[in-house]
Amino acid sequence: MTNIVVLVKQVPDTYSERKLAETDHTLDRESADAVLDEINERAVEEALKIKEAGEGEVTVLCVGPDRATDAIRKALSMGADKAIHVSDEALHGSDILATAKVIAAAIGKVEGVDLVIAGNESSDGGAGAVPALLAELLGMPQLTYAHHVSVEGSAIKVDRETADEGITHLEANLPAVVSVTEKINEPRYPSFKGIMAAKKKPVETLTVADLGLDAGEVGLDNAWSTVSEAAPKPPRTAGEKVEDDGDGGTKIAEYLVGQKLI
Amino acid sequence: MFEWSETEVLIRDSIRSFVDKEIRPHVDELESGALPPYDIIRKLFAAFGVDTMASESINALLAKRRKRAESGETSESTGDSGGSPFGGQESLALIAVSELAGVSLGIVASMGVSIGLTAQTILAKGTLAQQERWLPKLATFEHIGAWAITEPGSGSDAFGGMTTTVRRDGDEYILNGQKTFITNGPHADVIVVYAKLDTGDGTPQRDRPVLTFVLDKGMPGLTQGRAFKKMGMMSSPTGELFFSDIRLGKDRLLGEREPAASDGDGRDSARASFAVERVGVAALALGIINECHRLSVDYAKQRTLWGREIGQFQLIQLKLAKMEIARINVQNMVFSAIEKLRAGALPDLAEASAMKLYASETATEVAMEAVQLFGGNGYMSEYRVEQLARDAKSLMIYAGSNEIQVTHIAKGLLAG
Ligand SMILES: Cc1cc2nc3c(=O)[nH]c(=O)nc-3n(C[C@H](O)[C@H](O)[C@H](O)COP(=O)(O)OP(=O)(O)OC[C@H]3O[C@@H](n4cnc5c(N)ncnc54)[C@H](O)[C@@H]3O)c2cc1C
Ligand SMILES: Cc1cc2nc3c(=O)[nH]c(=O)nc-3n(C[C@H](O)[C@H](O)[C@H](O)COP(=O)(O)OP(=O)(O)OC[C@H]3O[C@@H](n4cnc5c(N)ncnc54)[C@H](O)[C@@H]3O)c2cc1C
Repeated sequence: MTNIVVLVKQVPDTYSERKLAETDHTLDRESADAVLDEINERAVEEALKIKEAGEGEVTVLCVGPDRATDAIRKALSMGADKAIHVSDEALHGSDILATAKVIAAAIGKVEGVDLVIAGNESSDGGAGAVPALLAELLGMPQLTYAHHVSVEGSAIKVDRETADEGITHLEANLPAVVSVTEKINEPRYPSFKGIMAAKKKPVETLTVADLGLDAGEVGLDNAWSTVSEAAPKPPRTAGEKVEDDGDGGTKIAEYLVGQKLI
Repeated sequence: MFEWSETEVLIRDSIRSFVDKEIRPHVDELESGALPPYDIIRKLFAAFGVDTMASESINALLAKRRKRAESGETSESTGDSGGSPFGGQESLALIAVSELAGVSLGIVASMGVSIGLTAQTILAKGTLAQQERWLPKLATFEHIGAWAITEPGSGSDAFGGMTTTVRRDGDEYILNGQKTFITNGPHADVIVVYAKLDTGDGTPQRDRPVLTFVLDKGMPGLTQGRAFKKMGMMSSPTGELFFSDIRLGKDRLLGEREPAASDGDGRDSARASFAVERVGVAALALGIINECHRLSVDYAKQRTLWGREIGQFQLIQLKLAKMEIARINVQNMVFSAIEKLRAGALPDLAEASAMKLYASETATEVAMEAVQLFGGNGYMSEYRVEQLARDAKSLMIYAGSNEIQVTHIAKGLLAG
């Protein structure tokens, strides 16, 4: 029986326009359609596959505002068993350190966790550091950039894939923290039955105080990092034109080498 | 009900993500007729667990009937249709088909005819053995079903003018004739065919009883014609069927016995499908209206002429306002039908006909106005509204042409 916690986050739909709030440079979550981050759908899918291959229970854990219940319900519709939703005004503007602390404390509420699965990096204000911070806080090994995961008894095997290092085979004892990449799987659609069943699955809502944390440890005012300025991405420039005087191929190759692309 | 529930919205969003990923990228192939819709339908069924859900419920139903039969109940034909035609999932079914109709009405037509007409007729009129033989594979869409009434010489007057005929031959029947405009005809594995019984006693053709048979693909004497080229809905193959001395055992006669004069004949079984089908058409019309509405509002906000968004022009506002009124009206009709179904009632034929007529006409108008609002772009395939206009028009013709709906509404009004 593998007891799995999957971290899920609600993010602004990548297809809609995303904005930062004028006043505090935090992501304006009201301005765009909110969806379950696709990378988290893959994390949920992987958890469900592990559960279906043997036995297990999948708990989804979400730190986010009230409207994040939609993302939670989607994960439950896909087949997760229950959910924990940490929602608290005090959390607004929390940086990655505070977020990791909150997640670690919430995981502490689940008994006998074997495996924590997260997305590698979220598609909104993502730093890609939460899984690593979490592993440190929980005292668990971290297996990041997973594009293949298998659980064998009390061990977990992961193929880690990065652009720089290619594929590395990792192995650790459970409990462990795994973060998955875009390539790991194709998430399922929630079945009609799943959608109807999701309504009846338990969702526990917790505040910062319920987790035994001090409001002084979280939120925008207590963040270790601040955003002092934000500017939209400059429009694309025209690029570099290469005239072909018979040596076009060589020039392109030189350019690609210069960019470390080949 | 005045809006979709939270669960229905989740289902709608789920269908939308399937549509965006699995259907929209193939729309050109589908709507040119190059790609039959069946693998996409099967994928849809698998993705949402409809196949398992359908086989579970059909197996449970059949097990119940088997038990009843074994415990000595004699009734051969099971008669009852197994409850609500939507199996208690009316809002779920209607929101799903409505979403699909906004992008590919043909997919819905192919799906609806196979499940809603073919399987439903076998479920309502077949014996247990016939249900066990054909339903499990139809329910999961492993098999494609077709439902054949219309003939070249009889569409609106389907039963009166029907000339496809069976003659008794010992314990068996011999079938001859032709059907046309049959959805899924070119690909169907299982075909429900309506035919007149000729006993040779001189009863005029018009008055002969109608019997219902089930045919399988590949039977000697059965020819399934190629798909016609159509104005729209090319994603749904429509074709002719030819029957030449097809030998049919009693096991293929729905109910496995000829109905006595008192229990009505194949006409009733077909008519029972009408009200359900017409409510379904309103849901399809709603899907097309919603999609045109969405695309038009977007376009009106984005297209700029004379330094202004065209949405600022009153003539464009009039079009948008009419689309909004259409959306509200048709949605309310669908909602009220759902309420009725939930209460265990079905809208009566006159009411269902009124819904069908209004919804199909309105969807066609809305879609044509969307083409107009898009200007030259509207006439180009890339912007999709021209397809919706061609698709919508079909809703005014099948499931009973709109002129026939008028006669059914009037009959309801003038009766008694
Ligand atoms: C895409 C498509 C799919 C179809 N799929 C199927 C299928 O799966 N199975 C099947 O059996 N059939 C199917 N049909 C056939 C459909 O049911 C008929 O086309 C429809 O019933 C109309 O019949 P008809 O084409 O013979 O037209 P006709 O009956 O010839 O009608 C011609 C015109 O006369 C009008 N009219 C007829 N009678 C009257 C009257 N009494 N008063 C006033 N006006 C009248 C009609 O409304 C119409 O405008 C399909 C048709 C289409 C277009
Ligand atoms: C098949 C085809 C062939 C064509 N051939 C040619 C050709 O050979 N040469 C050529 O030059 N062009 C050609 N055209 C282009 C055609 O002339 C334009 O499509 C037409 O003038 C409409 O312009 P538009 O497409 O930009 O629509 P828009 O001008 O963008 O109009 C969009 C909508 O807004 C409405 N609208 C615009 N202004 C107002 C207003 N002030 N108040 C209220 N409503 C308004 C329009 O009526 C329309 O409904 C062709 C178009 C088609 C479809």
